[in-house]
Amino acid sequence: MMRLTKVELRRLFSRRLTFIAVLGSVIITGLLLFTAFEQAKPLSAAELTSQRVQFAQAQKDFEANGEQYVKDCLQQQSDMQKTDPKADMGCENMEPNLANWGKPVAKFTELMPNVLLGGAYLLAFVGFVIGAGFVAAEFSSGSMGNWLTFEPRRLRVYASKLAAVGLGLIPLTLGLLSLLTAGVWLIVGHYASTAGITAKVWGDLAEMAGRAGVLALAASLAGAAIGMLVRHTAAVIGIAMGYLVLVEGVFSQSLQGAQPWLVRLNVNGWLEHGTTYVTNSCKTDAQGNYNCQGIETALSLGHSSAYLGVLLVLVVGLAALVFRRRDVS
Amino acid sequence: MSSSTADLAISTRGLRKTYRNRKGRHVAVAGLDLDVPLGGVHGFLGPNGSGKTTTIRMLLGLIRADAGTMSILGIDVPKNLPQVVGRVGAIVESPKFFPAFSGRKNLRLLAEAIGRPRDIVDQVLEQTGLGDRGKDKYRTYSLGMKQRLAIAATLLKEPDLLIFDEPTNGLDPAGIREIRNTMLALGAQGKTVLVSSHILDEVEQVADTVSIIGHGRLLASGPVADVIGDQAATSVRVGVANPVVAQRILTDGGLLVRQVGGLLIVEGATDGAEITKRLAAHDLFVNELTPVHADLESVFLELTADEGLKTAELAR
Repeated sequence: MMRLTKVELRRLFSRRLTFIAVLGSVIITGLLLFTAFEQAKPLSAAELTSQRVQFAQAQKDFEANGEQYVKDCLQQQSDMQKTDPKADMGCENMEPNLANWGKPVAKFTELMPNVLLGGAYLLAFVGFVIGAGFVAAEFSSGSMGNWLTFEPRRLRVYASKLAAVGLGLIPLTLGLLSLLTAGVWLIVGHYASTAGITAKVWGDLAEMAGRAGVLALAASLAGAAIGMLVRHTAAVIGIAMGYLVLVEGVFSQSLQGAQPWLVRLNVNGWLEHGTTYVTNSCKTDAQGNYNCQGIETALSLGHSSAYLGVLLVLVVGLAALVFRRRDVS
Repeated sequence: MSSSTADLAISTRGLRKTYRNRKGRHVAVAGLDLDVPLGGVHGFLGPNGSGKTTTIRMLLGLIRADAGTMSILGIDVPKNLPQVVGRVGAIVESPKFFPAFSGRKNLRLLAEAIGRPRDIVDQVLEQTGLGDRGKDKYRTYSLGMKQRLAIAATLLKEPDLLIFDEPTNGLDPAGIREIRNTMLALGAQGKTVLVSSHILDEVEQVADTVSIIGHGRLLASGPVADVIGDQAATSVRVGVANPVVAQRILTDGGLLVRQVGGLLIVEGATDGAEITKRLAAHDLFVNELTPVHADLESVFLELTADEGLKTAELAR
């Protein structure tokens, strides 16, 4: 088994698709860091001057008309509170404030989780494509049959492929997550301040990065398993995209009750240590008005991890059963 | 069958495989009993779709048999295939390797998978005449080179049994001769070579024994000479100065005679003396009298032309 895994790893690292996927990941990582740079860099002198001019105009306008603005606001708020007693339009804070006109100072603790989230999705996608291509190419080239004449124990062959995909993704995951963390740290350190970052912040970020790594591993295994079932890389990617667009994108809007079982939402729940989703509760009141109210529901990390884990076991197990019995041409 | 499976390189009993698709069921192998003796080259013949490749795939564990038993080198397969697969080299239909890798890299991966040292790769590449092209990508290889690489892959294992499924498909005459010589050399080394083919002339030149199948059943099996001798009618080619008159004389004498070019072919004739005697009685003197033996092709065509009838005859 070790020998087979070693051979599969050599093959994985020799593949052009692996090289292209890694190169693409590095480029997209660069784009993520560029986005972080855009958010962190302070406004230029010209932009600051323009902001101050706009603030002065707003202040002048409020001095002239502020009383009326507040009165109108309170009237609207009062109307809204007839159906929603908690409605609050913030009428007491309508006076312009210079702090709202500038650009907020970038904070590492706010920027880093967002960048990590982007990196996690990138790694999951790359892992899925690498896994799918690695296994499916053997079927489409016909070399799987040749391989089985050298090692006919199919479950070993399958396990070695999954192991190679999983192990092969570790350096990429570590490399990209380290690059993102170091990049954001340097950018924020240069344009703002990284002072005051506690051990807890680092701990939370490390935990999130760990979950991103596990997600990438799971995606690569799922890709390899679906590659084993479908036997064509393009078909695997087509099925995944079709599912995301049709099921997760289109039908999920009309099937609100199915939201806790959507893969994308559970991936968010896994990465962000729980998430929330909103469903609309609509009813007709005594006056005959039809009103809808958004109800926010929490999705726990436990739910997401259990659900995604079961899905992964099912896909990997199904592929193993099919491969064990399938005729190979 | 008298031989025990220990004396056989391959043995199958009642082997059966049915494919099911939208169009219905297709019986590819229908209770095949096949024995391949140890050592030498064994031809495995049958028309396209007769079940040769399906049988080979079942032996190698690539597809599952619906019924029947199989053994390779005395070991039951597919249950114990891992025990024996290291002694079996096989090329099933066209060679299939990773197109973007070089020939050498493809072989290295296979060699590592079975724990063979790296040196063996260069040895088998040299042995198959690919030493200079080993570094080139597989996709740039000609069909003949691909076939040679596949043979090189089979030699990585130092096998006792080699299975070549249609090894000369698409090859030019030089390539065919190379493969033929390779098979002969392997057979001479004491290895067993099972060669499946529909190029009968090729098989006749290399095979010691042969099995002929049709519609998934065994039609004939044994040493090539025996199969030809058992199944084929002999004839005699006769050269004479006046073939038209000679044909009439022999036909009047109850013989089946046809004229081919300037010669007469007397079908079913067993006694050349009788022919010369009859012609000499009419002052016609024979200048050529050659027994014509059936070749494997004629036997094959005869057996597979009316398979139902022949199967019944063989079962008798």
